[in-house]
Amino acid sequence: MSRIILEARDIRYRYPRGMEAIRGISFHVRRKEKIALVGPNGAGKSTLLMMLNGMVRPDTGMMLFDNLPVLYDPASLRILRKRVGFVLQNPDRQIIAPTVYQDVAFGPTNLGHNDTEVREAVTCALRHVGLDGFERRPPHQLSGGEKKRVAIAGVLAMDPDVLVLDEPTSGLDPSGSEDIIELLDELNHEGKTIIISTHDVELAYPWADRAILMKGGEILQEDIPEVAFGDPEYVRSAHLSLPTLLELHRELQEQGYPVQDKKPRTVLDMVRCIEQLLQKPCYSNNLGTITVCNVDTDNLGLVPGWISYRRDISVGAMGTRAKQYAENSRIHLGFTYGVIDKCILKALLGRDTLILTTSSMVARVSQRVNTYCTESGVHIPVLPFALSKKDADENAEGPS
Amino acid sequence: MLEELLEDIAQKNGLREVNTYLKLIAGIGAIILCLISGSLIPPLFIAFLLSGAVVYLARVDAKTYAELFILPLWFAFMSIAGIILIRGGTGIFWQWECIEGFTVSITRESINEGALVFCRIIGGISALCFISLTTPMTDIFNAFRQCRIPDEVIDLMMIIYRTIFILMDQVIQIYHSQIMRLGYSGYRESIQSFAMLCGAAFISSWDAGDDLMRAMDARCYNGKFAAFGESRPAEPVPAVVVFFFLALSSAVVILSGPVAII
Repeated sequence: MSRIILEARDIRYRYPRGMEAIRGISFHVRRKEKIALVGPNGAGKSTLLMMLNGMVRPDTGMMLFDNLPVLYDPASLRILRKRVGFVLQNPDRQIIAPTVYQDVAFGPTNLGHNDTEVREAVTCALRHVGLDGFERRPPHQLSGGEKKRVAIAGVLAMDPDVLVLDEPTSGLDPSGSEDIIELLDELNHEGKTIIISTHDVELAYPWADRAILMKGGEILQEDIPEVAFGDPEYVRSAHLSLPTLLELHRELQEQGYPVQDKKPRTVLDMVRCIEQLLQKPCYSNNLGTITVCNVDTDNLGLVPGWISYRRDISVGAMGTRAKQYAENSRIHLGFTYGVIDKCILKALLGRDTLILTTSSMVARVSQRVNTYCTESGVHIPVLPFALSKKDADENAEGPS
Repeated sequence: MLEELLEDIAQKNGLREVNTYLKLIAGIGAIILCLISGSLIPPLFIAFLLSGAVVYLARVDAKTYAELFILPLWFAFMSIAGIILIRGGTGIFWQWECIEGFTVSITRESINEGALVFCRIIGGISALCFISLTTPMTDIFNAFRQCRIPDEVIDLMMIIYRTIFILMDQVIQIYHSQIMRLGYSGYRESIQSFAMLCGAAFISSWDAGDDLMRAMDARCYNGKFAAFGESRPAEPVPAVVVFFFLALSSAVVILSGPVAII
């Protein structure tokens, strides 16, 4: 288990005029964890998040970063804020400069980097969030999702260890929310610890490593999502709703169906659940294959030809650069969210799929597929995108 | 909204990539020439050339340009009326002593001066339109910085520029929500609603200010604002065009001399 990076010990906080916003909270966050803070409005989520980078100082109790108590003098706060990046809920409030470049460069400039370093940091951060070429655009001309990405890039440019996001999906359309959650996943894979607050249970449930349910300035439940959201009583008292999959599982159990005890987190898990219930496999005898193409290293020139040769193949993209590549080369994407699971589902139906992804996520594909295969006793081949000689010949002839 | 429209056009115009200083020199040079010109012809000549540049080179939609151009002209008409009535002179056509000791009159000199000022205004508007439609604000900030205007002033300008759009957005939203509930149906309601609009805008900008501090603090604000270091070199062709434009206009100013319409 990785080291603890952030810890709160019995912290309390009262607003200058009146009510107590945080009433004795203790919790910890480990390195590379994905934490979702869920709770109703006014539960103290935002206040708690603002304590993580020292914007709000608890009245009593102690905050620790990297096992050292947080100090509130300007120099220590600077170091803390460099390492714990904070993204406000409203990107309009976060974006302060008149161009995207200047806004993303704001952090690195204030950290005292020179021009070349600043430019590198900005280019890298913008590429990460998929906004290459937006440098000169003024923020008011961007869409909600793009503004959110600029806000995230502004924090990424400081290369923090921990990213704290207050309601990252609020005000975005469903596909925009999924994109942001995917982006957070990708950042997590590159080693960042991610803490978000949200109302969106359906998004938080499959995404988070741990969920913290809050209500009235206290923690109600803190555990892996299956457990944290597992108790309808708690969920209801936190003014939330049960994730659909959990509710369905629960209902099946209550109706007396012999479903497994392990709670499903994804549609794939649910399909397996039903499969066991029916005691017959849903999949066909010929399982499909999953081909993985790394957009950072593979020969991309061949991809469109490869796809057009296989007419019935579905393509999914994981990671911002992969999605951007697909958009630029006009590759139609069948799925952009929960890609691996959806590809496994397709494979079970005997259909072949191609996953476009980035270096940091390649390993994850085979990892996830292998886990699934061991659990369910099937074999779905995961192939690297490399043209065999036969493929190359066929490509040369062109699709007939 | 007007300010957004201007920025949108400036971001996409055909002369976007031309060096900022060249555009500023052409615009400011044109204004100065309009001001020193003693005759009506040079400002009109400059307005004609610059309007041509905006419509054909910057490819700004002619109708939009005409609308933008006409808007400030209304103010010009009012000022010109004032000048014509108050200027006085010897060749009197009409006069009226409205108050004891104060006479309004229309004279040969006042008409000549009114016409000259009006033409200068047309020239000036065209120069300002040329600058604002071809040069985005961000490029102008950059030029300011290179001209050694203090950083504090530029940082303030940039933050104001950025927040204007947000504040305008909020004001429009509040205004719509008032209209939807018949906030401006009568005189009384209008005054009340407008007062509420101002109050709400003030409170929300105060809030936004708090958030701004927070956003800057969260990113280790240390008194520095990144400069957008990209500046395009002055290419020979645009430089020659600007030079010829200014030379030609100066020649017109010198050759035309003082001209009166009556």
